[in-house]
Amino acid sequence: MNKLLLTGVALGALLAMAGSANAAYVLGMKGPGAGNPFWAAVEQGAKDKGAELGVDVIVVAPPAESDVQAQITQIEDLIAQKVDGIALAPTDPNALAPVVDAAKAAGIPVVFVDTRGTNEGTTFIGTNNEVGAALAADYMCKNLPAGSEVAILQGLISQSTGQARAEGAKKGLEGCGLKVVAEQTAEWDRAKGLAVTENILAGNPNIKGIFGSNDNMALGAVEALKAAAKLQDVMVVGFDANPDAAASILAGEMTASVAQAPGNMGGLGIQALVDLKAGKTLEPWIDTGTVLVTKDNAADYQ
Amino acid sequence: MSDTPATKTGFSLRGPGMSKFLEVYGIVLVVVVMMAVLAAIKPEVFLSAQNLTNILKQNASLALLALGMYVVIVTAGIDLSVGSVMGLAMVALAMASKAGVPWPLVLLIGPAIGLAVGWVNGIGLTVLKLPHPFIMTLGTLNVARGLTYLISNGAPISGLQPEVRYIGQAYFGFGLPPPAGLPASLILVAVCAVGLWFFLEKTNMGRHIFAIGGNPHAARVSGINVDRTLVVVYMISGFMAGLSGLLLAGRTDSGFPNAGIGIELDAIAAVIIGGASFFGGRGTVLGVLAGVLIMGILRNGLNINNVSAFWQQILIGLVIIIAVYIDVLRRRAAVRR
Repeated sequence: MNKLLLTGVALGALLAMAGSANAAYVLGMKGPGAGNPFWAAVEQGAKDKGAELGVDVIVVAPPAESDVQAQITQIEDLIAQKVDGIALAPTDPNALAPVVDAAKAAGIPVVFVDTRGTNEGTTFIGTNNEVGAALAADYMCKNLPAGSEVAILQGLISQSTGQARAEGAKKGLEGCGLKVVAEQTAEWDRAKGLAVTENILAGNPNIKGIFGSNDNMALGAVEALKAAAKLQDVMVVGFDANPDAAASILAGEMTASVAQAPGNMGGLGIQALVDLKAGKTLEPWIDTGTVLVTKDNAADYQ
Repeated sequence: MSDTPATKTGFSLRGPGMSKFLEVYGIVLVVVVMMAVLAAIKPEVFLSAQNLTNILKQNASLALLALGMYVVIVTAGIDLSVGSVMGLAMVALAMASKAGVPWPLVLLIGPAIGLAVGWVNGIGLTVLKLPHPFIMTLGTLNVARGLTYLISNGAPISGLQPEVRYIGQAYFGFGLPPPAGLPASLILVAVCAVGLWFFLEKTNMGRHIFAIGGNPHAARVSGINVDRTLVVVYMISGFMAGLSGLLLAGRTDSGFPNAGIGIELDAIAAVIIGGASFFGGRGTVLGVLAGVLIMGILRNGLNINNVSAFWQQILIGLVIIIAVYIDVLRRRAAVRR
């Protein structure tokens, strides 16, 4: 009886897959949308676009953020299912490059969203992180006296996002005459952001501004500054505009952050796949844009 | 412990007395030497009250994990689940704090989760008779981390009650400019360390724990309830991991689901650097604390000299190997004598 039931369920699932006449496009994210507002927004953008264009959107993500191995497995399984296109946010561009090539070899169009991959000739749809970081740097320049000492908390500098944000910030800060006295990685992590900031403060007591390459590290920096009773004297600017950061900005602790447009990534990603399938050619980079988030507009990001 | 040779031949500074001294305090000397070197390279920063405070604050949660891990390693066991327990404790207590659970109860959540996971580990080892603690705790490492993602939906939970944050964040300034001072977390570490030392050295169960590590079969034959003792050992380790989560949540004002990933390896490294034997039956609480400080001071010293984080990882790896090799040499010399 049980066996019969199982067989029935399996058959039903197969029929459901085969029965759908719509083209099926896949959004492969770095982490689960449940809980992470960023990925939830990417997912929503893709699904809305799918509904608008009348195509099926399948969303897959590794169970834990940045699980490279799980993502490779998922993409391999999708290639086997012969989907119509994959919009992929690669957890590790180099590690994912071979399966992306395999997908293309199987005739499945691929675009990258959020994080640029290494495969030649593959369109990237996402934030220009260097421009976003420069936006943050520009804000710090305008609001700090020239020659002030500032520090940069880098993300993982083995990732292109981490590199682009650190470089964009450094160029921007130094370009307007601020003095970058410390650049250290805190690996995107709040506890490490806190510890690294403590160490930076020990060596550089005159610091006036800190750029955190993501909000988690910036919020860690805020905690370190609070403990040192220096929060009033030091401006902290983050990146991502996550809900915690928005709340912190509204509370007057963090000063600003930079928001990406995750909904655009999902939506434009699916649009790009549909265009590729229709034989159109795409720009190599479709910028989804960045916005500076301060007290004035932080309420929108909570 | 047999003390007949020493009492018969008497003590001499160059003989067993000196080697005994080195056995117990040699590792502390390493800490002192490291501090002296860093003080010489960057005196104005390294020896500042602020920086010394930083070292204590940044390593308090690792110290608690390592103390718990030490008890397990004394029994020739291993507890891989501590990092996940820490993450689970942080997320659970942050959720409770956000939900308005009274703070005295929130404080208990971390340790309670730790005790529960520790109990499960102990039962898996003694009742299910899984062949090695590596396996059971590898299982609970995954289960606890999965639960952490499940209940938090993968998102951090920030903004804790001030009372919950206290132990992880408060410090006593004694008139020093902030943020220098004596961290409250250090007091918790000291209380745990002294309590653990007393438990291991002065109680019957503590002595049983060493006996199990030295020779489980002999321990069983001599009437020690090995199974019950092992369950208690893993519960101690879990308890410490839960407390450690309370510290880190307080320090960061957040329960974030990725907290503590891989930190069990740091805890194991600290215990081993501190001179405990992987084969059980040997080690000291003082050595464990020194092991934590060696890793902490190394990281701090490289940070304040702006050395890349990549180098830090390489150096910590080398320190683990060198520390244990020195131990091997010393032991060999002791056997020859």
